[in-house]
Amino acid sequence: MDLITSWIGNIPEFAVPFALAALGLIITEKSGVLALGAEGLMLVGAVAGIGAYLTFEQNAIALIMAMMAASVVSLLFALMVLVMRINQVISGLVLVFFCQGLSTLVGTLMGWTNQPVPGLHAIALWPLSELPYVGRFFVQNIVVYLTPVIFLVTVWALYRSTPGLRLRAVGENPQASDAAGIPVLGYRLAAIVVGAALIGLAGAFISVLSTKLWIANMTGGRGWIAVALVIFARWSPWKALAGAVLFGCIEALIPQLAASGIKLSQYFVFMAPYAITLGVMIWVAASKRDTSSQPADLGTPFIREERT
Amino acid sequence: MSELALRRPLMNRRYTLEVRQQMAWPWQALILTGSLIMGLLISGAILVWAGVPAGELLNEFVFLTLFDAQSLRAVLFQASPLIMVGLAGCLAFRARFWNLGLEGQMIFGAIGATAITLWEIGSPAMRLPLMVIAAMVCGLLWSVAPVLLRLKLQVNEIVSTLMLNYIAINFLLHLMYGAWKDPKDAFPYSPKYESFELLPDLANGLSLSFPIAIGTALLVLWFVSISRGGLYLRFVDKSPQVARSVGVPVARTILLAVLFSGALAGLAGLMIAAGQEGRLTHSFYVGYGFSGILIAFLARNNPIAATCAALLIATLFVAGRSLQVFYQIPFAMVQLIQAVLVICVASSDFFIRHRIRRVQMGD
Repeated sequence: MDLITSWIGNIPEFAVPFALAALGLIITEKSGVLALGAEGLMLVGAVAGIGAYLTFEQNAIALIMAMMAASVVSLLFALMVLVMRINQVISGLVLVFFCQGLSTLVGTLMGWTNQPVPGLHAIALWPLSELPYVGRFFVQNIVVYLTPVIFLVTVWALYRSTPGLRLRAVGENPQASDAAGIPVLGYRLAAIVVGAALIGLAGAFISVLSTKLWIANMTGGRGWIAVALVIFARWSPWKALAGAVLFGCIEALIPQLAASGIKLSQYFVFMAPYAITLGVMIWVAASKRDTSSQPADLGTPFIREERT
Repeated sequence: MSELALRRPLMNRRYTLEVRQQMAWPWQALILTGSLIMGLLISGAILVWAGVPAGELLNEFVFLTLFDAQSLRAVLFQASPLIMVGLAGCLAFRARFWNLGLEGQMIFGAIGATAITLWEIGSPAMRLPLMVIAAMVCGLLWSVAPVLLRLKLQVNEIVSTLMLNYIAINFLLHLMYGAWKDPKDAFPYSPKYESFELLPDLANGLSLSFPIAIGTALLVLWFVSISRGGLYLRFVDKSPQVARSVGVPVARTILLAVLFSGALAGLAGLMIAAGQEGRLTHSFYVGYGFSGILIAFLARNNPIAATCAALLIATLFVAGRSLQVFYQIPFAMVQLIQAVLVICVASSDFFIRHRIRRVQMGD
C-alpha cells in the first residue's frame, strides 16, 4: 500500500516534463513546422536551468533562464528551416545533435555535473492532500499546479483567439494564409520560439525540480517520447496531457519496481518506456487510420516565390 | 518634400529572393568549400573558447593528425566503421527511410558476433567468417521491425528506430553488467576475443577492416548506380506514387535497401568490437549512429562521397580523442563540431539554389 501511495505521488513529477514538451511541440507543429528537436531543446533547458540556479540560487530565475536559453537555441532551428529552407527532418536531427554536444560541453566545462540543488518545496493542496491513497498526488511543487493552467491558456490561445486561428491557418494552408495577408514566416518563427520555451521549461523541470542535479544527456530520450506522444495524441493538447500522465505513471513505476525487489534485470525495466511508446504507436496505427488532425502542411517549407 | 525625394529611390528598390534553375559546378564547389571553411572557423572559435590555445589548433588538428604516420593509421582505422555507418545511412535515405536506428543495429551486430565467440561456434578457422555473418544477420534483423511497420501501418520510422536504439542500449547494458561480463575484472566488458577472432592486420599495421570498408563502398556504388535495385531506388526516391504506377515494386525496394542498411550497420558494430576493442564494451557505439546520418547527409547519399566524408569525420574523432587527453575537453566537442559543419554545408545549399536580385520598381 505504501508502494501505491508513493507511486501515485510521484506521477505528476514524471508526467509534467512530457506534458510541457508535448504542448511545446504541438504549438510549433500546428504552424506547420515539423519539430523533431525537442530532445535537444530539453537538454539545453536542463543545463541552462541548473547553470542559472547554481549562479543565482533562485528557482524562478533558473526556470526563466532555461526557457530563454531554449528559445535562443531554437532561433538556430528557425534560421535553418525558415530562412535556409533546409529539410525539416535533417534540421531537427542536427538541432538535437548540436544541443547534445553543446549542453554536454557547457555543463562539463563549467563543472555543473552532479551538483545537487534543493528544488522547490511541495505545496499541499488541502483538503485533497488528506485523501487516502491519492493524497500525495496533491502535494506537489508550484510548477506542477501551473501545468494545467498553461494548458488551459494555450488551448484558449490556439482555438479561441485570432492569433491562434492564424497560426493554425498557417499550418494548414500557408499559401492561402499568405494571400490573406498573414505573415507566414512570422507566425512560424513565433511558434518555434514559444514552443521551444515550453520544451526548455520541461527540460529544466527534470534537472532543477525533479532529479535535482545535472548529468550529460540526462533527458534520455524523453524528448523523442514527447514527439511520439504528439503523433498519437493527434496534435490535440488534452489528449497529449492524458498521454503524458500515462507515461508519467509508467516512469513513476520504475523506481517503485526497483525498490520492491522484483527479480527482473533493471535494464529491462529501463526499456519499458521506449517499448511502451513503440507499442502504443503500433496500436494507434493499427486501430485507426485518420490523419485528418495532422496539420496539412506539416514538414513542407514555405517558399513564397514558388507559389503554386 | 526634399526628404521624400531623397527617399524615393530607396523605396523603389526592392530585393527579392529567386530560385535559381541551376548553377555551374565550379561555383557550387566554391560555395561548398566556403561553407566548410566557415564551419571550421566556427568550430575553431568554439575550441578556443573551450580552452585550446589558438596557436595549437592547426598543429593539433592538421599536422599531428594527418602528417604523422601513426595518427594517419589511426584515422584510417577509425574511418572503417564510420564508412560503414555512412553507407548504411546512404542506402536507407535513398529509399526515403529515415533509419535513425544505426546505433541499435550496430549494437545487435556486435552482440551477434560476440555470441559466436562466447558460445565458440565453428572451428577457429571458420570463426571470423561466422562472426561477420552473425553481425550482418543481427543488424539486419534489428531493422526488420521498423521497416515492416512503416510499410504495413505507416508507423513513423524516425520514432520507432530511435525507440529501438534505446531498447538495444539497455539490452547491451544488461549483457555487459550481467551474463556476458568478463569475470576477470570489474569493468562492463565481455571477455577478450581470441586472436583468431580479431580482424587481422595487413602490412604496416593497416587493419583488414579498411579494405573491407572500401570494398563495401564499391559494392554499394554498384548497387545504387548500376544494379536494377538501384534504378528502382531512384524511382522510389523521386516519387513513390509514380514508381508504383509504372510497376516498380516499391515496398520490396524499400525493404531491400533498409535491410541492406541494417546489415552494414551490424558489420560496423563488428568492426569496432573485433577490429578496435577486441571485445564487446558497454559504450562502443557512442556517436556512430549520429555520425552515420551526418556522413550520409554531407555526401548527399553518394557512396564515394560518403567514404570521403567518413575520412573527414574520422580525423575529427582522432583529433577529438587527443584533445580529450591533452586539454580535458569532453568528447561531446566532436559531436558539436560535426553539427556545426553539417549546418554550414546544409546552408550552402540555400546559396546554390537561390539568388538575391535587386528589382527596380516601375518608374
